[in-house]
Amino acid sequence: MKKKVASAMAVSAALSVFLAACGSNGDNGNGANASPSSSQPAASDASPSPSPSASAPASESASPEKAENFTVSLRHIQIGDAQKFRKAILDDVVKKTESEVPGLKFELDGVEDSVNRFTKLPAEMAAGNPPKIMDIFGGAGDTQKYAKAGRLLDLTPILDELGLKDKFLNVLEPFSVDGKVYGLPIGGNTEGIFYNTDIFAKYNLNPPTTWDDLIKAADTLKKNNVAPFAAGSKDAWVPNMLVNTLIGRIAGENTNSGFITGQSKWNSPDVVAAYQMIADWEKKGYYPKGELGKAYADMLTDFVAGKAGMMFDGSWRSSAFKDDAVGKDISGKVAFVSLPPIPNGKGNQTSVNANYGEGYGFSSDLNENELKAVKAFIKNMYSDEMQLRGLLEDGVLPSMKLSDESIAQVTDPVVKQVLDVLKNAGTTFPHFDSVVQSKVYTETETQLTKLIAGKATPQEVGNAIQKAQDAENAAAAK
Amino acid sequence: MRSTLKNPYVYLLFVLPTIALYFLFFIYPMLTSFYYGFTNWNGLDTKDYVGFANFANAFKDADFRHSILNNLIILLFSCCIQVPLIIVCSLLISGVKRLQGFYKTTVFMPSILSTSVIGILWGFIYDPDVGLLDKTLRSLGAPTIYWLADTNWALPAILITNAWQWMGFYIVLILAAILAIPREIDEAARIDGATGPQRAWYLTVPLIKPIINVVIMLSIAGALRVVDIVLVMTGGGPAGATDVMASYMVNKAIKYSDYGYGTALSIIIFAFALVLTALYQILFARRQERVEF
Repeated sequence: MKKKVASAMAVSAALSVFLAACGSNGDNGNGANASPSSSQPAASDASPSPSPSASAPASESASPEKAENFTVSLRHIQIGDAQKFRKAILDDVVKKTESEVPGLKFELDGVEDSVNRFTKLPAEMAAGNPPKIMDIFGGAGDTQKYAKAGRLLDLTPILDELGLKDKFLNVLEPFSVDGKVYGLPIGGNTEGIFYNTDIFAKYNLNPPTTWDDLIKAADTLKKNNVAPFAAGSKDAWVPNMLVNTLIGRIAGENTNSGFITGQSKWNSPDVVAAYQMIADWEKKGYYPKGELGKAYADMLTDFVAGKAGMMFDGSWRSSAFKDDAVGKDISGKVAFVSLPPIPNGKGNQTSVNANYGEGYGFSSDLNENELKAVKAFIKNMYSDEMQLRGLLEDGVLPSMKLSDESIAQVTDPVVKQVLDVLKNAGTTFPHFDSVVQSKVYTETETQLTKLIAGKATPQEVGNAIQKAQDAENAAAAK
Repeated sequence: MRSTLKNPYVYLLFVLPTIALYFLFFIYPMLTSFYYGFTNWNGLDTKDYVGFANFANAFKDADFRHSILNNLIILLFSCCIQVPLIIVCSLLISGVKRLQGFYKTTVFMPSILSTSVIGILWGFIYDPDVGLLDKTLRSLGAPTIYWLADTNWALPAILITNAWQWMGFYIVLILAAILAIPREIDEAARIDGATGPQRAWYLTVPLIKPIINVVIMLSIAGALRVVDIVLVMTGGGPAGATDVMASYMVNKAIKYSDYGYGTALSIIIFAFALVLTALYQILFARRQERVEF
């Protein structure tokens, strides 16, 4: 009998080990005094002394060499040659932060932008294991949704502590819920037309600053077998940039922000007119054939190769045309203008789109050490120095207040044009991707590809998106 | 010790860890998924019970119906075109005297490559500007086909790639069955004056019917769960032209953050696969008698 009991106990002990190994680290959030190595496999690997007694308070007073090693996961989207300037800034911030926080090692995880935003991060958020520091977008579909679900760290006290609260431009709204800030935009951009000045000169074309010049340029290029606009429509967010600006100009600059309040409708005649313009341009052949097979990177490749005369893209692309960048072949032959005033548009025709939509968010599931790392990361990333470097090296507009002298240091001609576009803008409007809910946004992508493929009419597109919008607005009102 | 081993409960204890793991990683997720299918869960917040609304929406959803149709096209393609081709190829290879090992290895090769590799590889082949296929076609005077960007061509392109990937695996299966047929049967037929095609059709094929059945079963199952090649090559695009049930489900659940609806779709896919394989079993497979040599 004793043996029976003994064997039973042995088996159940083995079983409990199994189950313990499978158990989640659910108490990690408030387990600040627990050793990070107990719940973080990666951390325990690196730790020279994984004994739980040597936890944070002890290591704080000890010299840096004795500090407990720990890792912090950091998801970024700076992959590929076109993003190398932004990556260099991130690398410097990472290095500086690691040298400031004893024992800290960042684990960088680079993922392509739209994969991260629309596939990987949502799945991780659903599973409750997002990276500790992550690239994130503002708005109802991203930061605000995750913040409401308690996945993101409330940064308000950290901003107070670091004195950053008033340093930001008025750009934190898409990253805030109930007055609390859950993410910090890294910079800003505006979406407009890049054009190849060489090609325009070759065909005697005026810069596309008026609607007639734009259409004339497009028609002339088309006639000469140059694609008027490069395209990357396989990634539907790329053509969505033009849709957004067309809606702002044709239906009015407040339209985009009115979708979630019900003030504007996707199937209203003005918004449908914006989609109609896309359909017309498709019909006229303003985009290269097979555009639905071209990804975002292909748009730049085609533009740099001179296969297209123009491309509608975000101002962040300006850094691709530097002498040592991926688009160096046409360096100095690229200019940037905003979409010219559209005849009969209801909006302010000097308005441009301005986004401060992308930045960093932080997991709410942090222990004491990780919190220290996050604070140091914020301090180093959101500094005047890095903001200025972002502007000068990467052409990303600052999201924080920079002095006029700093901004005057810009020498890159394209970045200067971008700054001019924003300076001359009567008003700005956001991209709807940082306004509407994720279901609605994804529906805009689905419907836009259908429109491009000729499988849906502009009115059908508007109706389908409005249906998704109505459902989401009704759910939000509950 | 001996008395311990006589007690059946001890054995139960030994099995318990496995059962527990099985329950934890299979039964429990299955049951919860089933529940999620009846909610409007978005993956993050609270979930409300919505009854059969998700299932009703699924059948009203024209895009989902289109993806079911795509699955059926893939199924028909693999059963009606791929399987006969597989049998023909196997018969040909089985008749080869020299370098049979070389052919076997060559046809088997694609099925050991990862689907992502194959998807990207064929993406290059299908590239309208620099791809092998279009360059060849253009040199023959054909117009450029935008394989993966054209709503009419994208699905055939994926069908070809998928067939290329999996045919070798099935060929090796069938080849093994053909080579296992005793030589004497074939020789007897040869002495009686049967020609090659006659021997293949009246002798070999009937003798390998059981394995052909297995191949058809696997093809049906494969056609219903095909998703990786679609996600790698087109992501269901252009404009949903290549969406299959599973890729549509992944899209709805993750991109739309509509986990409730996505789970409902996965239950439908499960039921669909179950019914189809059961139908095939009842209608065809059961009638087969075992072949004894």
